[in-house]
Amino acid sequence: MMIHKSLRQLDFLLISSALLLLGCGLITAYSLSQGGTGSDLHLKQLARIGIAFLVCLFFLYIDFEILTYYSVVLYGFLLLLLLGVLFFGTEINNSRSWIGIGGFRIQPSEPGKIVLILFLASLLGQVKIEYLRFSKLIQCGLLGMAPVVLILLQGDLGTAVMYAPILAGMLWMSGIRTKVIIIILLCMLLAAPAGWMVLKDYQKLRIKAVFNPDLDPQGIGYQTRQSLIAMGSGGLLGKGIGKGLHAQLGYVPESHTDFVYTLMVEETGFIGGFAVLLLYLILLWRMLEIARNARNRTALLISVGVISFFFSHLVINVGMATGLLPAIGIPLPFLSYGGSSLLASAAALGLILNVNLRRFANT
Amino acid sequence: MEYNLENKIFFSRLRILQAIILLVIAVFSLRVWQITVARYSYYIEQAERNQLRRIDVFAPRGLITDREGRIMADNVNSFSLLLRRDRAECVECTIEEICRELGFDRDRINAVLEENRQLPAFRPIILVERLTLPQVSWILARYREHPELDITESPQRNYRYNSLASHVIGYVGRISPEELDAPGYDEAKPGHSIGKDGVEKTHNSTLMGKDGVRTVLVDSLGRIQEELAFLQPVKGSDLTLTIDMDLQEVAEKELGDREGAVVALDPRNGEILALASMPGFNPNTFSSGISQEEWSIMIADPAKPLLNRAVGSVYSPGSVFKVILAAGGLETGIIDEKSTVICRGAVNLYGRPFRCTSSHGEVALKEAIRSSCNIYFYLLGQEMGVDLMAEYSHRMGLGEATGIDLPNEVSGLVPTTQWKRETLGEPWYAGETISVAIGQGRINATPLQIARAIGLIATGEATRPHLVLNRPGTAGSSAGEPVNIALENLDLVRQGMWSVVNEWGTGWRAKVEGFDVCGKTGTAQLISRESRESLSDEAKEQFTHNAWFAGFAPLAAPEIVVAVIVQSGGGGGASAAPVAGKIFNTYYRKTRGLQKEQPDESPSAGAGEQS
Repeated sequence: MMIHKSLRQLDFLLISSALLLLGCGLITAYSLSQGGTGSDLHLKQLARIGIAFLVCLFFLYIDFEILTYYSVVLYGFLLLLLLGVLFFGTEINNSRSWIGIGGFRIQPSEPGKIVLILFLASLLGQVKIEYLRFSKLIQCGLLGMAPVVLILLQGDLGTAVMYAPILAGMLWMSGIRTKVIIIILLCMLLAAPAGWMVLKDYQKLRIKAVFNPDLDPQGIGYQTRQSLIAMGSGGLLGKGIGKGLHAQLGYVPESHTDFVYTLMVEETGFIGGFAVLLLYLILLWRMLEIARNARNRTALLISVGVISFFFSHLVINVGMATGLLPAIGIPLPFLSYGGSSLLASAAALGLILNVNLRRFANT
Repeated sequence: MEYNLENKIFFSRLRILQAIILLVIAVFSLRVWQITVARYSYYIEQAERNQLRRIDVFAPRGLITDREGRIMADNVNSFSLLLRRDRAECVECTIEEICRELGFDRDRINAVLEENRQLPAFRPIILVERLTLPQVSWILARYREHPELDITESPQRNYRYNSLASHVIGYVGRISPEELDAPGYDEAKPGHSIGKDGVEKTHNSTLMGKDGVRTVLVDSLGRIQEELAFLQPVKGSDLTLTIDMDLQEVAEKELGDREGAVVALDPRNGEILALASMPGFNPNTFSSGISQEEWSIMIADPAKPLLNRAVGSVYSPGSVFKVILAAGGLETGIIDEKSTVICRGAVNLYGRPFRCTSSHGEVALKEAIRSSCNIYFYLLGQEMGVDLMAEYSHRMGLGEATGIDLPNEVSGLVPTTQWKRETLGEPWYAGETISVAIGQGRINATPLQIARAIGLIATGEATRPHLVLNRPGTAGSSAGEPVNIALENLDLVRQGMWSVVNEWGTGWRAKVEGFDVCGKTGTAQLISRESRESLSDEAKEQFTHNAWFAGFAPLAAPEIVVAVIVQSGGGGGASAAPVAGKIFNTYYRKTRGLQKEQPDESPSAGAGEQS
């Protein structure tokens, strides 16, 4: 393998935008540390970035074909781990989705997204016809839903929801007929009332709050409302790093993880918020380019899975912070404080760079 | 990947995905622009409203002192327990716990909660006042478990003399929701203490200070992070009363446990020197928040300790009225100094016997006043008629409120034929006139009105009784207006009153050697003669008469008027005159620089005693 030589082939625009987003994340973590939380969040995050860099290298170094080949093993391991969490996990914020490994605590459902991407790529990569067969669709659908069901059982709706775009994006890209899509969407629409019944009361209220954030300012619309107030009070240029009072005084919950974008906008204003969106646009644009130039079907599907992963997180997270979508607690890749999400993002980045690196059929 | 038919769908769908991504980023950018730039002013205001909290800092009330600067009411710092219901997970559990741990009265706290139900949940409720230090430290130590509990330090009213002069000072209490909406309390906020009675009420706006405001930055749990501004509270203005605590103490001590009232005033300017109503109450009970139970007991007490008898209660003036009638008789010319009447102990008028205390024989005005001869005044009253008596009663200030700066003053009643026709729809009977002539029947007045009328006779000038000492330079209001009765006629009445005290008349017990006390006793019948017959002899005297004494001193240049009523006190000469005598005596010795009879009698100021 000519990997050292071919490092020059890597998409540096993509890598730069990812690094800049990580930088923004570090700045917000630093800002919160200034705000008197008493701990040096940015230093902890820096250490995690070090680990994440190694993870990224790992997924870049090993040929994606090999990773895909062994993905069924990873998939089996994931299901076991999720089952383990279900029975021996630690409960945080009402969901039993964490497990202690050595001195660390990890949320297997986060790296599980990467496993799903590889596994689906291995299943769908072999299909050589234009449109996806129905039997294949059902097979992939069921296998893709298995970890989702386990995560739902853990009570972590937010993470479970994030598996769907990956599954949908990869299936769609491997050629479901448009009429099949329409039928599936109709079925989902019919099943929606049943789904509504399954939702817990607080989850229903969150969805209602999207349509009317002023409904009950102290109650369910609270998070969204406070997020909007924090952002809005930032103005065009923001209040300055470390001066985002509203988010820091605890009015916006989880301002270092799920509502990191809120804090970002409060402190750096429209300019900072727009810059983050722009960086994501560059990131996704370059990824689409990588997908277009992918060596084969498997490589393309991996790229699409990675794009779906980043894009869906961006949509749900920023949509929630700006009050356009229900409040579902998921992190914003690269920006949010926390290990599991960062590891998954690093792995995803590694994968797409892997595809980027090995884009020529003869390597 | 090379483009071929097999892969055609990839490339078309990648383009769709690209379009979706572009669209979403554009929508988000616009949305962020809308929030941060377009609606900036709205959100910045919302953010400040959330983060900034204005905390009222209650201003201490002004001091109340007597005319010699002795402090009657001041403030002590006290710690109060606040409850913020919006922060409580379970209000009931918290109440349960603090009652158990700190020994608070559960019912009392429930009553406070009930009273404040209408308040928004984020408004703190003052649950308990005057916390002890162990209670304060218990609560502060549990700041984390109970974010809904808070301690506030606030000034609390303290009455140094406890119940002494309670009806003059009044008391303070928490402002009620009705008072909040009432005019005159614009500055007041919920939780404020305002004057509820006495000068605390009538001079509330003077005494009440201007609250300060602390502007603080709070986090989402309402914990104070930083103080941004502090507008210092401004203490209320001090109030110097006309009351002389030496006289006040003598008045209350002499009434003792008898129900009654004393008014002592300076007839030259209307300054009230002492105003007592017994029984009194301890106003400190109210400062710390009176319990429902204590309040009920006070309200149900038949002795009505909260009633200020000096201004809020009316009594038949009895024979004291005779001096007013005498002045009227002289002024109309119906009698003169030398007119006489033969008293044989009773007289038949309109077919009914009207009695006198004894047979006085032939009496002229001075003797009629000295011996309080009923017959003389029956006949004078008959001659004048009820409407003319009313005319002169009004000139002496009866039948209308004096306008003293105390709440709940009543105006008494001076009956006329027209009044009876209009109010009761009945004609006036001639026999009623005879009763009114000796201060019985329909006529009634407050002790303060009687004191004022005696002051008119003493000086010939009408003044408005008041309790606040005029500051130098603003003395305008205390100048008297000449009353519409000739001075020589008033002088004749005064001669009679002098005789009452100094020539072994009915009021001899009020005599002070060297001070020329003048006065008139009264023994006002409480129940009709028929019901009186059924009582034993002692009971007749004891329980069926209110005892009056009203007088002034000295004769030559009157300085002080004293009116005393002792309820169910029997004869005015025996019960009321000695009380007045003690007050005249104290005043005389004090103003003439003489030693007090008993040097240890100065009012005992409790050292800021707390209940």
